[in-house]
Amino acid sequence: MMETDALVFVVDDDAQMRESLRNLISSVGLRVELFSSAQEFLESKRPDVPSCLVLDVRLPGLSGLDLQRRTTEAGMEIPIIFITGYGDIPMTVGAMKAGAMEFLSKPFRDQDLLDAIQQALDRDRKARDQRAALKALRSRFASLTSREREVMARVVAGLINKQVGAQLAMSETTVKVHRHQVMEKMEAGSLPELVRMADKLGITVPKS
Amino acid sequence: MEAVLKQHPRAIGGRLLPKSWRTRTRLAGLVEAVSKRFWTQFKIPRIDLNACSYSLCTACAACLALQKRAEYERKRAEEALQKAQAELAHVTRVTTLGVLTTSIAHEINQPLGAMVNNAGACLRWLTAQNPEEARRSASLVIADGHRAGEIISRIRALAKKAPPQKDWLDLNHAIGEVISLARTEVQNNQVSLQTQLSNDLPLILGDRVQLQQVILNLLINAIEAMSGVRDGPRELWVGSEKVNGIPSESEQGPPEDKGLSGAKRTHVLVAVRDSGPGLDPTGIGSLFDAFYTTKSHGMGMGLAISRSIIEAHGGRLWATANVSKGALFQFALPISQERIS
Repeated sequence: MMETDALVFVVDDDAQMRESLRNLISSVGLRVELFSSAQEFLESKRPDVPSCLVLDVRLPGLSGLDLQRRTTEAGMEIPIIFITGYGDIPMTVGAMKAGAMEFLSKPFRDQDLLDAIQQALDRDRKARDQRAALKALRSRFASLTSREREVMARVVAGLINKQVGAQLAMSETTVKVHRHQVMEKMEAGSLPELVRMADKLGITVPKS
Repeated sequence: MEAVLKQHPRAIGGRLLPKSWRTRTRLAGLVEAVSKRFWTQFKIPRIDLNACSYSLCTACAACLALQKRAEYERKRAEEALQKAQAELAHVTRVTTLGVLTTSIAHEINQPLGAMVNNAGACLRWLTAQNPEEARRSASLVIADGHRAGEIISRIRALAKKAPPQKDWLDLNHAIGEVISLARTEVQNNQVSLQTQLSNDLPLILGDRVQLQQVILNLLINAIEAMSGVRDGPRELWVGSEKVNGIPSESEQGPPEDKGLSGAKRTHVLVAVRDSGPGLDPTGIGSLFDAFYTTKSHGMGMGLAISRSIIEAHGGRLWATANVSKGALFQFALPISQERIS
């Protein structure tokens, strides 16, 4: 439960509500940062750590749902837990469709919020790991020569060395050398592993 | 009068006088009262007690009795009217509060939610053996509880059926309370609200609940007027200021002053401006009439009641088309001279 790196952002225009959320969230050992408006949150400098956003739907100026849209548009992947004093069904559906983690009506059970925060942080942590892994994979792929990429694309498509050589007009031995280089540079232990990497990178199989 | 009777004990009219001294005195008193009234009201020359007949005396008595009776009836009717108006004001007030139910529920939910959070935190701090934080949490719960109580008593004051009661009050404070009740309504309708409340506003002698009813009514009207605005901003502006005399820069300004209440006196002016579709020029004259409404669900009592409340406070309420677009409602209340510092 205790983790020092994670950070919970709270955006609520009601000062007492905000303070009570800080109190509750910090009582389980999580770090909290408070904001009174969506603008203030967007303008803030947020540290690059696993985090989630506890967001009031009704805010003066930019509403919670507007903020959700802005973060999605900006590619800011942060899990959002909505809290509201009065949530109608269309609004809830809209928020959930747009990817909200949870939609809690005030007054909510404190444990419900803490559970939702925990789930959100777990999800963000996983998403961050995945993003980091993908980034590493991309940089490994970027280190391949264009020839090696061509060979890789055909190998993962299931072609045997002979066919690759025929398609790319090179000898089977040269294909083998390139293939070895690809496995090494991509840090793939086996062909299936390389295929999974290609999948993640979205490498398309050339038709011809 | 006494002197006349004493000097001329049997002199009234010279004849047909009742023997009893008491009856004579009463008659003389009546004649004098009627004569005085005739003189002040109709400039009819005073009746000479010495030249007054018995029948004239009885006629005077009947006249006086009738007038007293009429006055009594008028007073009763006025009282009944006031009572009916107060009841009607109460009904419209409660109806307006009904419109605000969602807003009010939200307003009470906030401190309730904060209480639950702080109490939950308090238990967790206790489990974690952190008495300092636990104590802090418990005092936060108390503060939240008080806040919820304050909101409820504010609403109860508005919903209560109480006789009009005049107190010294700060209009800005009254406006602030109304705005906090209508806040969610403002947000739900995507209205941006701006206030410009003067900080040198003198206190007003008035009925807080009734004046808040007027402000609430103007706010709700403005919000509802703007709910149909599809494009363009929905802006609501509320302001207060101290003015010398009632401004009357527009053709739809306040009704002509009858010279009695003194429009030159210092007034407190409260204005509510919106960016809605504005006022229909053909309907502007009947705006304040009872049962006049442009809303599908309106009773048409709000503005009529509001105007009668403001007029009962010696003030004026009037409407003008906003300079750019929308409507502007303003009321001015005179500052009482009998102010005790």
